[in-house]
Amino acid sequence: MEKNRVPMREQPVEDRIHNFDEVPLGFSAEEAVAEAKRCLQCANPPCMGHCPVLVDVKKFVKEIAEHRFKDAYETLKTSNPIPSIAGRVCPQENQCEGVCTLGRVGEPINIGKLESFIGDWAMDNDIEEPLDIVERPEKVAVIGSGPSGISCSVDLRKHGYQVTVYEALHKPGGVLQYGIPEFRLPKQIVDRELGYLEKLGVAINLNRIVGLNVSFEEILDEFDAVFVCTGAGAPRFMRIPGEELNGVYSANEFLIRTNLMKAYMFPEEYDTPIVVGRRVAVIGAGNVAMDAARCALRYGAETHLLYRRTRTEAPARAEEFEHAVQEGVIFRELVNPTKIRGRDGWVESLDMVRMVLGEPDISGRRRPIPFKGSEFREKFDTIIEAIGTTPNRLFLERAEGLEVNKWGGIQVDENLQTRIPGVFAGGDSISGGATVIQALGEGRTAAQSIHRYLSGKN
Amino acid sequence: MSNFRITEKSDLNSQDYLIEVEAPHVAERLRPGQFVVLMTHEKGERIPMSVQKAEDGRITMFIKRLGKTSLELDDYKVGDSFYQVIGPMGNAFPIQRYGKVVWCSDLVCGHAENYAYCEALHKIEGNHVISIQTFPTKDDVYSEKELRSVSDEYYVTTIDGSYGAKGHYIDVLRNLLREREIDIVLGCGDIKMLKEMADLTRQHGVQARSVLRQIMVDATGMCGACRVFIDGVMKLTCIDGPLFDAHKVNFDEVINRLGMFKKPEGVAKEAYLQGREG
Repeated sequence: MEKNRVPMREQPVEDRIHNFDEVPLGFSAEEAVAEAKRCLQCANPPCMGHCPVLVDVKKFVKEIAEHRFKDAYETLKTSNPIPSIAGRVCPQENQCEGVCTLGRVGEPINIGKLESFIGDWAMDNDIEEPLDIVERPEKVAVIGSGPSGISCSVDLRKHGYQVTVYEALHKPGGVLQYGIPEFRLPKQIVDRELGYLEKLGVAINLNRIVGLNVSFEEILDEFDAVFVCTGAGAPRFMRIPGEELNGVYSANEFLIRTNLMKAYMFPEEYDTPIVVGRRVAVIGAGNVAMDAARCALRYGAETHLLYRRTRTEAPARAEEFEHAVQEGVIFRELVNPTKIRGRDGWVESLDMVRMVLGEPDISGRRRPIPFKGSEFREKFDTIIEAIGTTPNRLFLERAEGLEVNKWGGIQVDENLQTRIPGVFAGGDSISGGATVIQALGEGRTAAQSIHRYLSGKN
Repeated sequence: MSNFRITEKSDLNSQDYLIEVEAPHVAERLRPGQFVVLMTHEKGERIPMSVQKAEDGRITMFIKRLGKTSLELDDYKVGDSFYQVIGPMGNAFPIQRYGKVVWCSDLVCGHAENYAYCEALHKIEGNHVISIQTFPTKDDVYSEKELRSVSDEYYVTTIDGSYGAKGHYIDVLRNLLREREIDIVLGCGDIKMLKEMADLTRQHGVQARSVLRQIMVDATGMCGACRVFIDGVMKLTCIDGPLFDAHKVNFDEVINRLGMFKKPEGVAKEAYLQGREG
C-alpha cells in the first residue's frame, strides 16, 4: 500500500503570483491511475456517505485504477452533473477525503483531483453520457444558474421536463462565474460544463432578473413549478466607520470586477477597471477572503488577511489557505478592525483591536473578545471586506408570498417547498452561504421534490 | 446575434448625442425613474444609463462624450448592434398627483430624466409641471422643444447668459421657491448643485428628490459599489434608488465615491484615443 499521494504538480509560486492561470496542473492519465490504485476499496466505504450528492467514490476510483475512464465519467455523472467544477472547489477534507480510511495511516486518496481529472478528460475527448429523455409537457422555471440551479435543471431535464433557467447576469454560472477566480476555477471549464445544460435542452435566459425585469407573477403564471436558487449574492459590510471611503470594497465587488468583468485584463482587453493599493487588508478567513487576497496579491499588493479568530476556526478550505500563504498572503489572526480612516476621501489606515478567544458560542467555535487596551493602527490603502454574504433582497422584496427565515433566506419545508405550492427553493438563497457541493445536493433534492409534485398532480 | 440594433443616432450638441436602440423587452417595461445597463461589446463595462423615452420597442438615451466607452460609442453607426441592453433596473417613481412639481437638470446630466418624469407627471390631473434646464452656452441647448411640450412652465438657463436666463437652474429655483408654493422638487446633474438644491428646499420646507448616478458593476444589488448613506443608513443606488430623498443624502460622500476610478478611466481613455489615431 502506498501511503503517500501522487504529488500534484502546481504552477511554481514565483510564476503564479503574476498570472491568473490555474494553480494545480491536474493529473496526467498515468498519475491518475497511480493515485486511484492506492484506494483500498473498503468493504464499507465511508467516503460516499460524506458526499452531499452521494458520489459513488469507491466505484469511480476503481474504474480509474482500471483505466476505464469513460465508465468513471458515467459513474460520476449519475450523481454530480459538474465533476470538473466540484473536483476543484469542494472542501474534500471535510467530506470524502476527511473520512478516507487511508488517511489514518497516510494521506487520503486525492478524490477531488481524480474527479476533476475525469471531468476534464471527458470534455477533452468529447465524451457524452448516453441520454434517453422521455419528454413531458410540464414546464419548470429555475431562477438562478449557480450550482443548485445547474443540478436541479439537469435532473429535471433528465426526467423530461421543459426547463427554463433565468439568470440576472450576462454570463451563466452564478458564483462559479463571478465569485471563484480563474486560478482556482478556469472560466473555460465553467463554460464547458454549462454547455452540457444546453446540450440537454435546458433553455438559459440571460439578463433576466426575476422581480425586476420579469415579474415573479409572470413566472408563476407560465410555469407548472419553480425552483428559486437566487444565491446569497448581497455583500455584508462590517458597519464600521469609514466604509464610504474610496478604496473600500466588498469582496463581492472586488471579485465581480476581477472574475466576471476581467479587470486584470484592463485596459488592453477588457474595459472594467479596478484600483488596488500597495498594502491591502482583506477582512475574513473564508474561501471568499482567500480568493480576494490571492487576487489582490496578483495585482501586486502586499496582502494581509485579518481574522478575529485563529487558523483553527478559519472556514476556508485547507488547499486555499495553504495556497494563499505559499503565495505570500500574510495571515494575521486574532485582530479585528474597528475603524477605517481616510485622507482626501481615500483609505489611509485601519484601526484594529487584538482579540482573545473566550467560551464557545452557538456555532461551537470559541468566541473572539476584544482585548482591552490593545488598540493599534496600521497603514493600508485598500480594504476588502469578506465577512459573508446574504440572500439578495432584490428578489425577496419583490416576490410576494415567500416567507423569509431568521437568516434572511427563504423559508422552506423538508422537501424544500416554500409556502407557495409548486415553488421550491435551495442553495444559498435558503441558507445564506454554504458550499458549491451543498448547493448541488439541494438542487438535486429539489428536483426530486418537483418531480414528485408534478407527477402527483397528474 | 444581438437584438440591440441602433436605429437612430444624432448629435445634440458638440458633446452630447442621442442614441435610439431596439430593446423591446426593456422598452415594454421601463417606467420613469428606471434605468438600463448597457454593454457595448462582450468585454465592455456594464454601464448604467438613463432613458429619455421608451416606446415602440425602442429606447432613447442621451450620452456625453466623456470616458472611453462613450467615445467608443461614437464608432457605432445606425444599423450596428450593442452586445446587451439590460433592464429595466432600479425603482420606478410613482406617477401620481403631486401638485406643483419642479424638475431640474444641468450641464452634467439629467435631461433624459427631466423629460421622462415630466412627460409622465404632466399627464396627471392636478399636476403643474415646471421644467428647468441648464447648459453652458446657447449652442449646447437641446430638448427645449420637447420639454416645453411636456411641461406647464419651462425655463432654460445658460451659464454665460447667451440664451435664456443667465446662471444655473438653482437661480431660477431660488426665485420659484421664494415666490410660489412648490410641492416637490426633483433634480439630477452636478452633485454640488444638487446639494444646494437640497439646502434650498430644506429652508423652504419643500420636499426634494435627487437622482444619483453612482458607479455600478452588476446593478442588481450584488457588489455594493453604489452604496450611499441615507440618514446614515447604507442604501444601494441600484436596487434602493436611483431616486433618494435629497434632504437625507450625504452629497460629499456621493461626490467622493464618483471619483474612485478616475485614474484608470483616464488611462483607458488615453489608450483608446491613441489606438484610434494609430
